[in-house]
Amino acid sequence: MVLKILQKIRESVERRPREIDVAKKDGQKVLGWIGYTIPEEIIHALGIIPVRLGRGGDDRLVEIGSRYISTQNCVFVRASAGLLAENKDPYVQKSDAVAFDTTCMQVYRLGEITKYYFKKKTFFLGIPRNFQTPHAREYFTKEVEGFTRRLEEFSGETISSDALAASIGLYNNIREAIRTLYAHAAHDSLPVITWREVYEVVHAGYHLDRQEYLTFLQDLVREVRETHGSAVDEKPPKDVRILLSGSVIAPGDTKLIEIITRLKGNIVADDLWSGLDPYLQGEVREPTLKGIADAYMDRVLPPAIPCLDQSTDTRLDNLKRGINESSADGVIYHSLRYCDSVTFKGLEIKEFLRHEKIPLLEIHTEYAQSDVEAIRTRSEAFIEMVKFRKQTGGRI
Amino acid sequence: MKEIIPAFGYPEEVKPLFLETEDLVFGDGTCITTEQMWDFMTKEGPARYPYAFNTQASFGGQLSGDVTFLSGIRQNYLSMTHMDRIRDMHAKGKPIVIVRGWITSEPYYAAGCISVGPPFPRGWMLQQIQGQDFRQASLRGMALLEEARQNLSIESCNLIAYLALLKKNELPVSAIAPAICTGCSDMAYGTVACRTGPIKVPAFFMDYPVNHGSEGGRVEYLETEIRELTRKLGDISGKTVTDEMLAAEIRRENQARRIVRECQKIWWDANVPPTNSIDNSFVHLGSMGAFDYTVAIQVLKEYYREIDDRIRKGVRGYGLRSDPARLFICGSCVHPNGAFIDKKGGVIVGKDDQWSTMTMDVKESGDPYENLARAVSSHPYERPTEERAEWTAEQVKDSRADGVIFMYNWGCNYQSAVAGMITDIIKERTGLPAICIEVGELTRMESLEQSQNRVEAFIEMLR
Repeated sequence: MVLKILQKIRESVERRPREIDVAKKDGQKVLGWIGYTIPEEIIHALGIIPVRLGRGGDDRLVEIGSRYISTQNCVFVRASAGLLAENKDPYVQKSDAVAFDTTCMQVYRLGEITKYYFKKKTFFLGIPRNFQTPHAREYFTKEVEGFTRRLEEFSGETISSDALAASIGLYNNIREAIRTLYAHAAHDSLPVITWREVYEVVHAGYHLDRQEYLTFLQDLVREVRETHGSAVDEKPPKDVRILLSGSVIAPGDTKLIEIITRLKGNIVADDLWSGLDPYLQGEVREPTLKGIADAYMDRVLPPAIPCLDQSTDTRLDNLKRGINESSADGVIYHSLRYCDSVTFKGLEIKEFLRHEKIPLLEIHTEYAQSDVEAIRTRSEAFIEMVKFRKQTGGRI
Repeated sequence: MKEIIPAFGYPEEVKPLFLETEDLVFGDGTCITTEQMWDFMTKEGPARYPYAFNTQASFGGQLSGDVTFLSGIRQNYLSMTHMDRIRDMHAKGKPIVIVRGWITSEPYYAAGCISVGPPFPRGWMLQQIQGQDFRQASLRGMALLEEARQNLSIESCNLIAYLALLKKNELPVSAIAPAICTGCSDMAYGTVACRTGPIKVPAFFMDYPVNHGSEGGRVEYLETEIRELTRKLGDISGKTVTDEMLAAEIRRENQARRIVRECQKIWWDANVPPTNSIDNSFVHLGSMGAFDYTVAIQVLKEYYREIDDRIRKGVRGYGLRSDPARLFICGSCVHPNGAFIDKKGGVIVGKDDQWSTMTMDVKESGDPYENLARAVSSHPYERPTEERAEWTAEQVKDSRADGVIFMYNWGCNYQSAVAGMITDIIKERTGLPAICIEVGELTRMESLEQSQNRVEAFIEMLR
């Protein structure tokens, strides 16, 4: 059974490129973006169409991207370089400019490559790394203000307080709806919506009109609540509950998810920057640019931001909270090749989860299909082990 | 039976010349006489570090054979004894702080710390066992790299991997305090990885804001970061760093940078290269200060006088061909083997990374933090890549290079990402050939054949 609203979302995603064409003919500009910390509220408030770019899973794009950026860069960055170089993706084609933030400095380098080789107009937003200090917030607020001024020039519009307040409200509601859907996927004893479907919905939001997207999300939440409790026989069994952590799993990158699903592993949660994380703790409380800057600084730390103090590393707290709230039995730590920010933390995460008595499997991979069987073997052994230990000794 | 290749040695006939040079005077007033230096380089050094005097072709760290280039010998002395001096300074209470890159040294030295690079743990552990020959030292180095990688990641560059040795080995390191910038992808995450482990070393860093496109706030942020870094370094050393102390350090390092620039200018303008590739490493004295800027400045002055004299007399660096292919090297940390390049008919004329720092001239009056922030914020190497490439192209022209090699080590994400773009721009601006070479040899003593083959082919093409 497919949820009706989910079906509608899929249809809307199909239609979206044509809708954007119409909007562009009417004079609207499109801003593509890649990163983690671009405040879409500002883009939306200026009447610019925001689209989040980047694809995973396609080794062909990785090869194309490698002609411009290095083979020492993570495959997501290389594939995204390929996507921009090829210029066949409808959203890349329709983007009048592309914005990058410096959360991950490999993405910053991608921005430089995009500007030079692909001749795209680019915007950059600087992110402080000593994020916890007052002067870092001050710096980031100035960065956000400068970013806004440049977008104002780009759009030919001046941002109004009313438009900003409306956009902030819209995005706060989107975040809340996505958190609710995640909670349903993780908590419901017989879930109406699976994690994978929620993940698909999150990625649909990269492109859909944001007002329409919110309506879909709220309708979907309603449908899930109304359907909750009725028999749904197409959902996977919930015997081994898995939380996915680590590097970005971008749209199109289904290799690991497919393998886990086929092995009857049940992904119930994630702490990915391509998943739930951007929707946690990002509530903008003050309808100003400073309010936006503060909210984005308060979000869950992405792995790309180095945090030297374990006791204040919200990423670890978030992982622990995600495990507890979703009652995950194990964590699969997905690290993309040359994603140093995630790979270098592998040993620490293992130690951290060992202390929490949560089993962990690290999968280090890229977009080639050559390691499918190796990943399958390791994942199967992990799932079997977790299942056995769960059956014999309860939660590990 | 294989032929035994004799070790390198400084000939006795050079000794009288060397003894005519000045004694070395360090920042704390310590004096090392020329006699002591000569004894070390001819007796104690070869006994303690036999590998350093190896001349096998496969050894990538050979001493320069230019035995009459006396400031080169003095620089080698500083290099070969630096661990001894660091040990002594540490014993007298100076904290050792691991940094990365050449953004600024002033806060570290103003706070009374010794700033060392990420491979310090390797160097320290390697020299614990003395008397090793080339193979023994090489194998020991590889074992340390393996241990380090096991505690970090197989995808770490060799240099940064050594940080992980701190997790399980008691080493005299008081803090890790690098600048986080585009120069190095691995330092930030390598430092974070050190927060766990049986041994925890205090860590903090200076955030270098990379977005140059912003209208305001960048320099102010950097200034506050430098203030915070200096304060924390002072906490480590137990010193309160006053504005005057930082200003004095700025003046001192400005002096070193000025001499480096003067050396570089006359070297580049010379009709024939006055030193070979190994001895053309004075930039390092300006950027790392030989862990003591007082002595570094002394040697730099001598360096200038000596190469100026050689240029006037038309002396060519030892081992160079009559018309060597002039190579400008780009990229962080790693560079091709100088001895090999010279042998194959090339010569290294410059490098972009440390040279970038040497172009910095910090204003000496006014608020030293603001002055430092303004100077540091415009490092050519840290500018947006297109601007950096334009600057590099100018350096390539000024150095009268015949070709450019962009070399980066395995695991270096940020430099590798823009290597192609920079070489493309340089080719366009200068019309010169440029090549990108990825290597895995940083800190390795041997097995350099792959990169050497490529470098040799490039030199042959240029010639």
